[in-house]
Amino acid sequence: MRIRIAVAVLAALACSVVASAQQITPSQAYRPADTTKFHKAPGYSPYAGRHYPTRPLFGDEHVHTGWSGDAGMSGTTLGPEDAFRFARGEEVVSTSGQPAQLSRPLDWMAITDHSDGMGVINLIREGDPEMMSDPTLKRWHDMMNKGGESASAAMMELIAAQSNKKLPPLIMDPRFAKSAWERTTAIAEKYNEPGRFTALIGYEWTSNAGGGDNLHRNVIYRDGKDKADLALPMTTFVSENPEELWKWMDGWEKKTGGRLLAIPHNGNLSNGRMFELQTFEGKPISKDWAEQRARWEPLFEAIQFKGQSEAHPSLSPNDEFTAGYELWDRGNLNLVPKKPGMIQHEYLREALKNGLKLEQELGVNPFKYGMAAGTDTHNALVAAEEDNFFSKFSGGEPRADRWDEDAMKFGDRVVKGWEVTAAGYTAVWALENTREAIWDAMKRRETYATTGTRLWLRFFGGYEFAASDLDARAPAIPGYAKGVPMGGDLRKAPAGKAPTFMVAALKDPYGGNLDRIQIVKGWVDSSGKTHEKIFDVAWSQPNKRKPGADGRLPDVGSTVDVANATWTNTIGAPELGAVWTDPEFNPAQRAFYYARVIEIPTPRWTAYDAAYFKVKMAPEVPMVTQERAWSSPIWYTP
Amino acid sequence: MSDGSTGTRSWLREPLLHFLLLGAGLFVLFRLVGGDAQAPKEIVVTEARVEALAENFARTWMRPPTAQELTGLVEDYVKEEIFYREAVTMGLDRDDVVIRRRLRQKLDFISEDVATAVEPTELQLRGYLDEHAEKFVEPARLSFQQVFFSPERRGDAAMRDAEKLLAQLRAGSGPADPWESGDATLLPPGLEAATPQEIANTFGEDFALQLDEAPVGQWTGPLRSSFGWHVLSVSERIPGVAPSLLQIRPIVAREWQSEQRQKLSDEFYQAMRSQYDVRVEGELGELLEEFKAADREAAQ
Repeated sequence: MRIRIAVAVLAALACSVVASAQQITPSQAYRPADTTKFHKAPGYSPYAGRHYPTRPLFGDEHVHTGWSGDAGMSGTTLGPEDAFRFARGEEVVSTSGQPAQLSRPLDWMAITDHSDGMGVINLIREGDPEMMSDPTLKRWHDMMNKGGESASAAMMELIAAQSNKKLPPLIMDPRFAKSAWERTTAIAEKYNEPGRFTALIGYEWTSNAGGGDNLHRNVIYRDGKDKADLALPMTTFVSENPEELWKWMDGWEKKTGGRLLAIPHNGNLSNGRMFELQTFEGKPISKDWAEQRARWEPLFEAIQFKGQSEAHPSLSPNDEFTAGYELWDRGNLNLVPKKPGMIQHEYLREALKNGLKLEQELGVNPFKYGMAAGTDTHNALVAAEEDNFFSKFSGGEPRADRWDEDAMKFGDRVVKGWEVTAAGYTAVWALENTREAIWDAMKRRETYATTGTRLWLRFFGGYEFAASDLDARAPAIPGYAKGVPMGGDLRKAPAGKAPTFMVAALKDPYGGNLDRIQIVKGWVDSSGKTHEKIFDVAWSQPNKRKPGADGRLPDVGSTVDVANATWTNTIGAPELGAVWTDPEFNPAQRAFYYARVIEIPTPRWTAYDAAYFKVKMAPEVPMVTQERAWSSPIWYTP
Repeated sequence: MSDGSTGTRSWLREPLLHFLLLGAGLFVLFRLVGGDAQAPKEIVVTEARVEALAENFARTWMRPPTAQELTGLVEDYVKEEIFYREAVTMGLDRDDVVIRRRLRQKLDFISEDVATAVEPTELQLRGYLDEHAEKFVEPARLSFQQVFFSPERRGDAAMRDAEKLLAQLRAGSGPADPWESGDATLLPPGLEAATPQEIANTFGEDFALQLDEAPVGQWTGPLRSSFGWHVLSVSERIPGVAPSLLQIRPIVAREWQSEQRQKLSDEFYQAMRSQYDVRVEGELGELLEEFKAADREAAQ
């Protein structure tokens, strides 16, 4: 019976389910949680009127340019225009004078320059009435608007006035500070081309509480310049307390009718504060606080240039892929050393577990985070590829010695250049490539984080998935029809049923084959204790690789030739998939499940550097990595 | 390295000395920043300044500050002003690489503002589009469908099976639904009106290149991608078009302005630099002089 349906489906779909590259449709109509639309098939053809995302859109939600104080001051000369051009696939010249280009364009990007210290930039050319009351400024304004030589002359006069200390005082007036923000939004507007490339408006709110405890958040706008310009970004000069940021976001939404979300990052550098089980001011978490956090922060950045914050080996000792993987766990952003007990409140997996526990107590889960990843580049180049890595600051751009230099240094506490991580991108299952559709997908957490690879990952949860669903022409069809996608919720299980998950991954056409797919489960038991377990659900060469008596799957092996920084796709598989039923399901216990895909070993950026610059690096420098992706979780709530 | 080996060292550890040094240091600092009670310096917080502070607050919070908040803002402004003045008096702004870069950037911003101030004329844009036509050409687009054969599942038979299906389809004896013969995959069963880049993003670069030569309206292949073998049929090939200015005016304006920005920035710098006599000393300087001389000779 099932096979028959599959055949009928195939025939029906031969023409209809063709991924469209340029299709623009209203995104509001798409709600996977809408059971009447996605869980039942009212007409004869269950596939008629299907409306779901057909390909993941890859982008970066975390980009600094020379306009960020710390980036500009450390020498970055590239601004937002260069950043957008680079992300769109154009060749640009980096701050250090090297031509740079991505292997292929990204689909979207948000520039998130720091809101603190957005520069005072003059408004002369806009003819601001107050500025124009100054005759000198008025004259310059007119000259500039004439353009050409006249503009050059105005510029020279201005320079002369500056050196002679005769600059009209109005030019330095703080009330003109707004134009830095307005310039940023204007550039985003120019490079935003719906259907081709989405330029999201955003900024980073950079709270370094207590001297470097990283509580940073990227604020992402759904709307365009018209709404974004109605208020200046929130700065930490106003407050370092995230609750104040949520308040600001709430006020902004009410005033403008627009939408905002925030993405925290680098829990690993927060010295126990990112996911602490109390408020910023040390008060107990209330239901209202939990609601606010869950409302404003749907995603968390699991990896970026400054290491990963997904999981820590001391908290997940049985997780072989977390041991020694891109860890920055010695201190906070100022490298103030960690004390015992801090790490448990820095990593996402632990927070997801604590979230279940808090939900049990408060009725609301404050840590209901989906997955994002970004670069946090400070040289305007979102170059997260291992063989094309331009590092974080302009000083870290490709050079023979960069691996051995200090990436960060506070006194004798140092992070070395080789420790910087070449990652990551956020993949968004959006209906179309527009600001609205991408933002909506982020909001409903239909996202996965990658270390820079562009592999595809589908992940659905429900109670009815069967192995044959993977054989459908497009697994997404039974996926959406019978369950919820990544980021979704499963309600109380029907009697006698356990959750089933359909997961499938396709390798990056430019990248390494896949080693395995895992499902990470976290849950809280009746005594309030949290647990986690990792299940291997699909792997390459299943005939040769069988789990041992301890349940451990043998390694996939390695084809990496470190000296030449090459590898071959002779191991692993281009595609993996499984339908998996939780064998240990307890219907009374809250749980979450997320998928993790691991690629076969490939050269790390350090190996490409060593081969290109012909340098020998110290033995502690990792030369091989396994790129990976993490889906947003699916939560089970009884 | 024993404790008493040098008298100076133990002497340096004397707490009383630390206390005295600290006191003296503070005294010097106090004198430096001009803590002279005789001549009080003046900070006038003008009404305009207060207004500006209030306005800045309102721009962030979208409401005016309360009296208490405003007092706080003014107090903070006064503190900043005092620190600023004293720091400048002490010369802390000199030789500070962060401040130098900030100033360079501010000047850069100003010159860029000038560049983007100029709105291009219709004629300029038309000229720019003509001159850079290749930059604005909409790439050719392809619509195709593909049936996938997985070497993972079929081993060496994958290619043979693909060839078999292709032969059947060409002979008109293929199955009504060719996908029945292929393997399930996450790869889409086809793409509609996709550019070569979009095809490469999903199927890989080699595949996109091979597809370029595929005939329209018939089954063809099998093509190899990094995933496996594909039997495919191109249904439509939409040639690339050169859009008119009307269609892409904002994009042409953006590119024109970006070029202007670069050009004017360079000009400003050259204009300023021409007012300076730059001399590099040492060996490198000599080398540079030689290069210059060689350039001059070559020019003649």
